Amino acid sequence: MAVTCPVDFDVASLRQEVRTIYARVAAAPDGDFHFHRGPHYATTMLGYDATELAALPADVTSSFAGVGNPHAIGPIPAGATVLDIGCGSGTDLLLAARRSGPTGRAIGVDMTEAMRRRVLQGAAESGLTHVDVRAGDATRLPVDTQSIDVVISNGVLNLVPEKERAVAEIARVMKPGGRVQIADIVIRETLPDSALRDIDLWTG
Amino acid sequence: MDVFTAAGFRDVRITHRYNCFAGTTKERTAQRYGVIGANVSAIRELA
Repeated sequence: MAVTCPVDFDVASLRQEVRTIYARVAAAPDGDFHFHRGPHYATTMLGYDATELAALPADVTSSFAGVGNPHAIGPIPAGATVLDIGCGSGTDLLLAARRSGPTGRAIGVDMTEAMRRRVLQGAAESGLTHVDVRAGDATRLPVDTQSIDVVISNGVLNLVPEKERAVAEIARVMKPGGRVQIADIVIRETLPDSALRDIDLWTG
Repeated sequence: MDVFTAAGFRDVRITHRYNCFAGTTKERTAQRYGVIGANVSAIRELA
């Protein structure tokens, strides 16, 4: 993972590009993108359970655009308070909500309004009343300090230039002993400056 | 991974790897730089 970006990198433009692209994913998940989406991708390439995904609304899973499977790392305990950073249309968040159960809480944070609407609609259709979705981004989480048992995220931190700040925020909101289980992009080589400045490479 | 350790996490590790760019228009770029999807697990240190 590239931890730092060039000092003069246009972070605001990157944020806007991320919002634009994922608003398009929410509106038209079958559109032309440079990354895989949807439940078939999740089950065949990332090991998600097809039966579990089929039980979620299609409007939620059709926009899934993760890069790994946080749920494969470990079980989410019943009663846990789970935070999904960059929850998108809610596939991972609603799966977490099913696992934490009605005595737990499932909080999603996303900066794309269209995705937040989709999550709320999907939670309502699924009868998941303990799902909460908030506007925000990874560097300023709208979440109380030391309030979270499990943090999940899927393909989000690679879109955040200020990674140290994002990870510091994760540390802030987590209870001591809490667990991070995230999926993200990792790289084998140090990226050249030209690649770090290419917004198209950041957003996939 | 170091960024998590520095922020107060322990047992930071990659648990699974995924070739998430296979079959996309970014596959060649991903192969060039060794880019893959990975699951990362970590535990928040006790205060």
